[in-house]
Amino acid sequence: MEFNIRITGAAGQGMQTAADLLGRSLLRSGLHVYVHQDIESRIRGGINFSQLRCSDRPVHAPVERVDLLVSLSPESLRAHAPAVNAGGMIFATSAVEPADCPRCAPFVLSELARKAGNDKTVSTVAAAVAACALDLPAEILDTLVDERFGSSEKLLDVNRRAVQLTREAMLEAGLTGRLSLPGGSVSGTGASTDRLFVSGAASVALGALAGGCTFMAAYPMSPATGIMTTLSELTHDCGVWVEQAEDEIAAINMVAGASYAGARSMTASSGGGFALMTEGVSLLGMIECPAVIVIAQRPGPATGLPTRTAQGDLRLALNAGHGRFARVILAPRTVSEAYALTARAFDLAERYQIPVFVLTDQILQDCQTIIDRPDVPPVTRHVLTPEQAAALPFYERYAQTGDGISPMALPGQSRHVVCVDSDEHDPAGHLIEDAAGSAAMAAKRLRRIATVDAAAPLPECTSHDPALPLVVSWGTTAPVVVEALDALNAGSPRFNHLQVTQLWPLPDLRAIPAFAACSRLILVEHSVGDGLDGVLAQTQLRGVDAFIGKLDGRPFTVEELTARIGKEDHHG
Amino acid sequence: MAELTLNDYKSKVENAWCPGCGNFGILNTLQKSLLALGLPPERVLLVSGIGQAPKIVHYVHANAFDGLHGREVSSAQAAKIVADDLTVIVHSGDGGAYGEGGNHFLHAMRRNVDLTHVVHDNHIYGLTKGQASPTTEQGQKVAVHPDGVAALPMNPLALAISQSCSFVAQSLSSNAGHLQEILCEAIRHPGFSFVNVLQPCVSWDPVHTYAHYQKHCYLLDASHDPTDQLGALAVALAHDGRIPLGVLYRNERPALRPIMESGIGDLRTCTDRPARLAAVFNRFR
Ligand SMILES: Cc1ncc(C[n+]2csc(CCOP(=O)(O)OP(=O)(O)O)c2C)c(N)n1
Repeated sequence: MEFNIRITGAAGQGMQTAADLLGRSLLRSGLHVYVHQDIESRIRGGINFSQLRCSDRPVHAPVERVDLLVSLSPESLRAHAPAVNAGGMIFATSAVEPADCPRCAPFVLSELARKAGNDKTVSTVAAAVAACALDLPAEILDTLVDERFGSSEKLLDVNRRAVQLTREAMLEAGLTGRLSLPGGSVSGTGASTDRLFVSGAASVALGALAGGCTFMAAYPMSPATGIMTTLSELTHDCGVWVEQAEDEIAAINMVAGASYAGARSMTASSGGGFALMTEGVSLLGMIECPAVIVIAQRPGPATGLPTRTAQGDLRLALNAGHGRFARVILAPRTVSEAYALTARAFDLAERYQIPVFVLTDQILQDCQTIIDRPDVPPVTRHVLTPEQAAALPFYERYAQTGDGISPMALPGQSRHVVCVDSDEHDPAGHLIEDAAGSAAMAAKRLRRIATVDAAAPLPECTSHDPALPLVVSWGTTAPVVVEALDALNAGSPRFNHLQVTQLWPLPDLRAIPAFAACSRLILVEHSVGDGLDGVLAQTQLRGVDAFIGKLDGRPFTVEELTARIGKEDHHG
Repeated sequence: MAELTLNDYKSKVENAWCPGCGNFGILNTLQKSLLALGLPPERVLLVSGIGQAPKIVHYVHANAFDGLHGREVSSAQAAKIVADDLTVIVHSGDGGAYGEGGNHFLHAMRRNVDLTHVVHDNHIYGLTKGQASPTTEQGQKVAVHPDGVAALPMNPLALAISQSCSFVAQSLSSNAGHLQEILCEAIRHPGFSFVNVLQPCVSWDPVHTYAHYQKHCYLLDASHDPTDQLGALAVALAHDGRIPLGVLYRNERPALRPIMESGIGDLRTCTDRPARLAAVFNRFR
């Protein structure tokens, strides 16, 4: 059972505030929600929307249907009214003739806000309209309004009045409970603390902290910025340093310095900003320096569509940096996986002393959903303790080892000095030119690649009959495919599904029967092509038979992929 | 612990500079300065990029981070923020510091991390065989500029003073006594200390020779007030053919890390994460 609420208006009108209040209300009511943002690259004006998919079970993917539209501007009403279902409802800030609009509420949102005493309370009115329609317990929204506006008596007063007036209007119109969801309702103010309402960006930030991150350097770029914003707000609570670098080149070189000095370190950018970091990535490879790099993808080339989504930077992450060295590329599918994989990225980075990439995208960064309160296991460091370092008779940062991984000591923690060099170097970290020494170091880097390769996990595969067509997906596309296949496989199974969360290195996928035996290989990727299809052709010697991509920067929806994948099970 | 000696700072790495290079003077003086300050090698972090001058970090026994050309100041600032208990000294060529890394230099002055940035200013790209650097004289004929350099040279001292860099000094690689005094003062100064060290390049630059510096350099005396920013700027912009040596400008604004201190603690540890995160999660409800 689910309902979809779209809150639309011009940038700066408070749609995100409304969505946030409503999302938290759903959380505290024991329900689920997936909020995705459709925003223009501007600060005021235009037409933006937040869409809330409200459900009694966890949801991770956008849909197109709209059951309830809350519109805060005439332009957005005109643009989005046609999307509303036949049985849906429309709430707006301008009166619409009832004859034109049988689905329209008999009251005007901005008038309620004005009556409450402040036009700006229209975002609270918007949240209250939806909360009433869903029949969420009144105390929950009341408590949230108190928490949000409590610091100013005046603001609290007008916002409380806005909620009250909205409730009365909804009751009078007979609209309260029109979209009531079964099962959820938790009584009281939602005392349970076992679930959280977080954005993808915040989830990456929290996962980084769980992974032991104490240093981030980055330069703002949509849609990556939310990560540094969240971390900066937690500086003093969690002990994490966030440095806004003068450019991305500084950021990646700061990460290298901080990591060398002993902090688990990260940076985040989008494709264009990351492109500036590529020499720095190569430095990380040469000096065997752990680092986590988040690439929050948006459509390119160049500036592209700054506030839209894409999965077009896999090959950029894979090939960034001259020379050959080990790296890992992870791609979370959901908000909760963003937490877990980012935490894991920090462990892998330090374990193998490599750059680890986390590929997200705009739709993941900006979406908000409800996740189970995550575990925070203690962080296990893979560096020598001061005591371990002190006990060594001598220390060489690049000591030759069988697996290519040398024990990492931190500078200043023992009597040994720690030397690293972007030039080819000897085991002690000093520049060399000789042939034998250079070859030995290159061979060490190759052994490290083999070590990281050998640890590549097999991806998750849902298989009915191995001979069925196999749909391959990764990142935020995967949960949309899951829902599309739920619909397509109802009755008799038509497709298997392989979901790749570690994109590099890939294991031999022929170990998965549904990959080895599939009649057709179908890749669904939010790109214009030559992403994972190219990688599969190169590494698995298996080209894809059908590619389902995307050119417009808008997210895949369940409806769209159900239709597009449904056409792909013919053979040949 | 045994008493420190100059030998403790000597490294076994073979030196690759040209005979007579100005870098030797800086190397010897750096080692003497560390000894004079009583800083044991394992408490010192030398950071550099790529070029002839940056190789100095291999010729001193200390912690060394030899990163990318022009990016050394970025890595150094972060390393110091994390390992606040180390003494961090950056060595750049004028190409790395003012050309490739010019943007980082500007922002390092603003950020004011407590480290010392020593620029070996030989007015030339040494390692790449004598092309113009940002401080090569206008009209000087060098590689890639057979008709002479058309652009004006940069004035790093005036730039730094104008940006209220917290410590701005100039010295000369061949004046060991003066250089040691300046290096020690710069290292002790809390904040971003910038030292431009004039250095003859015996292979590529026939203009800025030992004799040239002998003739044109003068020592700032007690009449110079390094806390007077406009006065310092006047000295740096004099255009009278004379080259000032000494501390041109200093201010006592606090360094970055102490400003931010509250609750941050040692960035090398993260053992208290579970407890700290548990409290933070409640904001997401
Ligand atoms: C990104 C990058 N660009 C160019 C180079 C080539 N390069 C190495 S050192 C150098 C300039 C050297 O001049 P300077 O920094 O003044 O140091 P010097 O050798 O004179 O001491 C250049 C251009 C490089 N290593 N990396």
